[in-house]
Amino acid sequence: MGKISLSAKPVLGGVSLEIGGNKIVERGDLALVSLAAPMGEEGAVSTAVRSTWELDMPSATMSASSGEMHAVRLTPEQVLLMFPRETPDAEPFVRDALGAVGYTTDQTGAWVVLDISGPETLAALERLCPLDLEIGVFPVGSYGRTSMEHLGVALVRLAEDRFLLMSASSSAASFLHAVETSYRWVTD
Amino acid sequence: MTGPRRIDGGAIDRSETLRFQWNDRWMSGHPGDTLASALLANGERLVGRSFKYHRPRGIFSAGAEEPNALVTLGKGAAAEPNTRATVAEVFDGLYATSQNHRGSLEWDLLAVNDLLSPFLSAGFYYKTFMWPAAFWEKLYEPVIRSAAGLGRLSGRPDPDSYDHGFLHCDVLVIGAGPAGLMAALAAGRAGARVILADEDFRAGGRLLAEQYEVGGQSGTDWASAAMAELVAMPNVRFMARTTVYGVFDHGVYGALERKTDHLGGVEGKPRQVLWRVYTKRAVLAAGATERSIAFGNNDRPGVMLAAAVRSYVNRFGVAPGGQVAVFANNDDGLRTAKDLQAKGVDVAQVIDARKGEVVVDTSGRKGLRRLMLKGGATVDADCLAVSGGWSPNVHLTCHQRGRPVWREDIAGFVPGEGLPDGMVVAGAANGTFTLSGALSEGHAAGAQAASDLGHGGSAGEVPAAEDEESGVSAFWHVGESTSRAWVDLQNDVTTKDIKLSHQEGFRSVEHLKRYTTLGMATDQGKTANVLGLAILAEASGKTIQDTGTTIFRPPYTPVPIGAFGGRARGKHFRPTRLPPSHTWATEQGASFVEAGAWMRAQWFARPGEAGWRDSVDREVRMTRGGVGVCDVSTLGKIDIQGRDAAEFLNRVYANAFLKVPVGKVRYGLMLREDGFVYDDGTTARLSETHFVVTTTTANAVLVFRNLEFARQCLWPDLDVHLISTTDAWAQYAVAGPKSREMLSKVVDDLDLSNEAFPFMACTECTVFGGTPARLFRISFSGELAYEIAVPTRYGDAMIRALMEVGQEFDAVPYGVEALGVMRIEKGHPAGAELNGQTTALMMGLQGMVSKKADAVGSKLSEREEMMADDGLRLVGFRPVDRSRDLKAGAHFLTKGDPADMAHDQGWMTSVAWSPELGHSIGLGFLKRGSDRMGEVVHAYDELRGFSQDVEVVSPHFIDPEGGRQRG
Repeated sequence: MGKISLSAKPVLGGVSLEIGGNKIVERGDLALVSLAAPMGEEGAVSTAVRSTWELDMPSATMSASSGEMHAVRLTPEQVLLMFPRETPDAEPFVRDALGAVGYTTDQTGAWVVLDISGPETLAALERLCPLDLEIGVFPVGSYGRTSMEHLGVALVRLAEDRFLLMSASSSAASFLHAVETSYRWVTD
Repeated sequence: MTGPRRIDGGAIDRSETLRFQWNDRWMSGHPGDTLASALLANGERLVGRSFKYHRPRGIFSAGAEEPNALVTLGKGAAAEPNTRATVAEVFDGLYATSQNHRGSLEWDLLAVNDLLSPFLSAGFYYKTFMWPAAFWEKLYEPVIRSAAGLGRLSGRPDPDSYDHGFLHCDVLVIGAGPAGLMAALAAGRAGARVILADEDFRAGGRLLAEQYEVGGQSGTDWASAAMAELVAMPNVRFMARTTVYGVFDHGVYGALERKTDHLGGVEGKPRQVLWRVYTKRAVLAAGATERSIAFGNNDRPGVMLAAAVRSYVNRFGVAPGGQVAVFANNDDGLRTAKDLQAKGVDVAQVIDARKGEVVVDTSGRKGLRRLMLKGGATVDADCLAVSGGWSPNVHLTCHQRGRPVWREDIAGFVPGEGLPDGMVVAGAANGTFTLSGALSEGHAAGAQAASDLGHGGSAGEVPAAEDEESGVSAFWHVGESTSRAWVDLQNDVTTKDIKLSHQEGFRSVEHLKRYTTLGMATDQGKTANVLGLAILAEASGKTIQDTGTTIFRPPYTPVPIGAFGGRARGKHFRPTRLPPSHTWATEQGASFVEAGAWMRAQWFARPGEAGWRDSVDREVRMTRGGVGVCDVSTLGKIDIQGRDAAEFLNRVYANAFLKVPVGKVRYGLMLREDGFVYDDGTTARLSETHFVVTTTTANAVLVFRNLEFARQCLWPDLDVHLISTTDAWAQYAVAGPKSREMLSKVVDDLDLSNEAFPFMACTECTVFGGTPARLFRISFSGELAYEIAVPTRYGDAMIRALMEVGQEFDAVPYGVEALGVMRIEKGHPAGAELNGQTTALMMGLQGMVSKKADAVGSKLSEREEMMADDGLRLVGFRPVDRSRDLKAGAHFLTKGDPADMAHDQGWMTSVAWSPELGHSIGLGFLKRGSDRMGEVVHAYDELRGFSQDVEVVSPHFIDPEGGRQRG
């Protein structure tokens, strides 16, 4: 038996689909770390995040971005940081970068992240998403949480016809099927 | 020309000819035709048989209200019965058949029912077939059921697909007739987000069927221009073939869009989409439905609503008959005659009820031939256009208990109090029957809705239009008719049935409906209800307002069950959760079992094994004899961090958590507020402020929700933060006497000796040269065991690596069945024991309920009844006859006692065949069980015919002292 080492694999194997000019791509490159502010130290956490990544804390309905660092709010006291990272040390990376001012939890494997885009994206989401995604109501950068086909989903609008969809990784196959079916049913 | 009845004009595309089949005969139509218009064009008058008497029936209307022309579209599994020919679009290859006949449509054997009609009046089945009683189920009911009904389902799975969707707007306009178009134009021009939905495939409503002018152009042209303007607005969405079928709470409307029905289906695309429309305002512009007049034999093919006649002539370019007579109580009679004459159709006679002229009876075996008028005159006619006035389509105004009110001047119900929030009604639906009135009301409603929502753009002007006369004079039925006069064509309800209902005491309109079936089935009495009410009112001497209406409920028109189901069918009925080892387990030939949404490996069959028991027994033996690996990632995992995390856990668990040392795991028992056991699991302390809680697979979400409730609502002053990590970690149990040795080749630089890493220890570590991991020394099997967790994206690699390392130790993967056997052997409670009705005391865990801590449920768990000494206790059982298997669900009886609930002593919760002991074993709750060790009781299961003696034993069948897991 040779020396064994473990290789990471995105839950959908890094799936990339093109359906009638639309794309569904699994973002296996993103690391996800939750950051909660200790009671009474919300300001310190915000300051640390701003000084470390020039990133403002996100509101309940808008994501925040700075460079490759993105953040969305999970609860009034907790945000989710998203950033490209290949090594499995995202949580200690964030903890150390912030000087351990908050409570951090690695969430990378907990979510499947689909980057969907293309001209039929809104039509496809109409079949899945109860939220109002009209551009004036849900502008670029907006963040929302909802359910699609019985699955909890967080979504961020990256462009008029491009979204990040995040759902539980254990049901990633069902989620992909739901998203893919919607695209296939609205494209010629 | 496509058919003998085709005439000039209409909004059909004559440049293209479509071929379709009707009862296996090929016919032609044009784009823009409905099946009804195409059948009429081809000279078909007889299109179906009636519900009860199997009388010949023809096309009665030109819209969704059609009670007669119900046909089956398609064939085989895709066949859809009871579809209205008046709304089905013709397409190339359409296959349609008539329904509700034995033998051919023309020669229906069950037409004999019509001869038996004196015995088949309303409620006949309540009065007849009473004797002998045994015949009801065996003879009468099957025969009646077989004869009743209209179309028949294929009995096969529907091959079509359906979908759901969500839409949002400021103003939903329901109906694209003159009022709806005007409302959409006004709201859209003002800047509101508008959805305009219409059940028709073309916008315009009655404008398409009449000869009115709007703004100096024909109604049809104005509707086309209005649509062009609307379609050009980015804030307006027009949805044709879309029926808004219901109003629900909070501005939610249900709408069914027929996507591909008119194309004959499109491979791989959903046939229909059920939309949930969220809107701030709604303008109901659903128009009105014309109703008939009840006179003798008024159901013959060829008797048709006058508005339908105008629709066929003006919109579809079809003459419904060669000689058309008109019978009306309003100005639509004359209007119909004029339109017919303008198209060159022979008008036989106009019979105006307002002048005392009435049709008393008709003749014609399979279609109208002659009319008999009061006074004895006869008129030869193959089509009779009847108008008894119009009923506003108020249905959607009533979906939240609104009650319509009667307006004598129009002889119709109009929307009353209690409209759904945000809804306004415009046009004919509001009782405004003139065209100029409908346009004005629609415009005002749309403009107001937009203005209310802050859209200040100009709503534009209202075009000029006619203020045509209606001149209706209420007239319901012809008293001089001695033949049966039909009120509800779909349900074969006559004026006599309604009078009979009243005579027999069914005088409330709701009772009338149930007794006679008036207003039931697919058309829900759209053409019949008001007529029926008026006749009931007359019989009872009440006003129509006092008689009232039945409740209108969704759906407005039928919605296929498939559309309600949407895409949730087959294996996609609901989402599936897959543990990290799923791909590998599939490769290993595992059998899977659903555990909630999870698909878990149940066992791993190997060549030569005769059945699942062989596989499970081997997995248990090899685990207890060496080492086994099981994916336990499905257990709920919750990361709890904060300065007060220990205090928080101390309050949510019944046992103490304040002093759990860092690097240790503690088994926790969670109670509900009422003191019953809620869940159990282990909690590991990774640092002073960091715990990882595990829950049972089944309760993972519920426990997280409960903890969030406690955090946010009970103790918001605690510094505690929760996040689920169930899906973040792939966790594997490595169990058996060789587990330590095997794991020592997995973890990096960690001393796994009992001294360095004892039972209930935990640590963060790395595996296979640097992959981060968590190691817990806990045991569900009762063996020396560990659970090792790695980030989920390493889960697949981890199971493969574990099994590769395990080869040296004959490691075996085991599934949840072996897991269950081992936990029963060990006496660990699981779902069958933690069923929400059991207490800590019942499970022998009362010692865990801290007397000091004020934890959730601890106080109520001390209630007298819950602490009673003679209560149920969890004990073990084994069969006296060791060769017999035990059955879960059996109830215990003291030997010799009768088998009834008064002598019930408890029940068996879990059973397994123990490879270790060589016989069946069980866990169960028995009254005073812990005091009855060695007693033989009777296990009895009447449902499955199971009965045997069992011996009461300790629930810990193996290693009761726990030496193995601590070793």
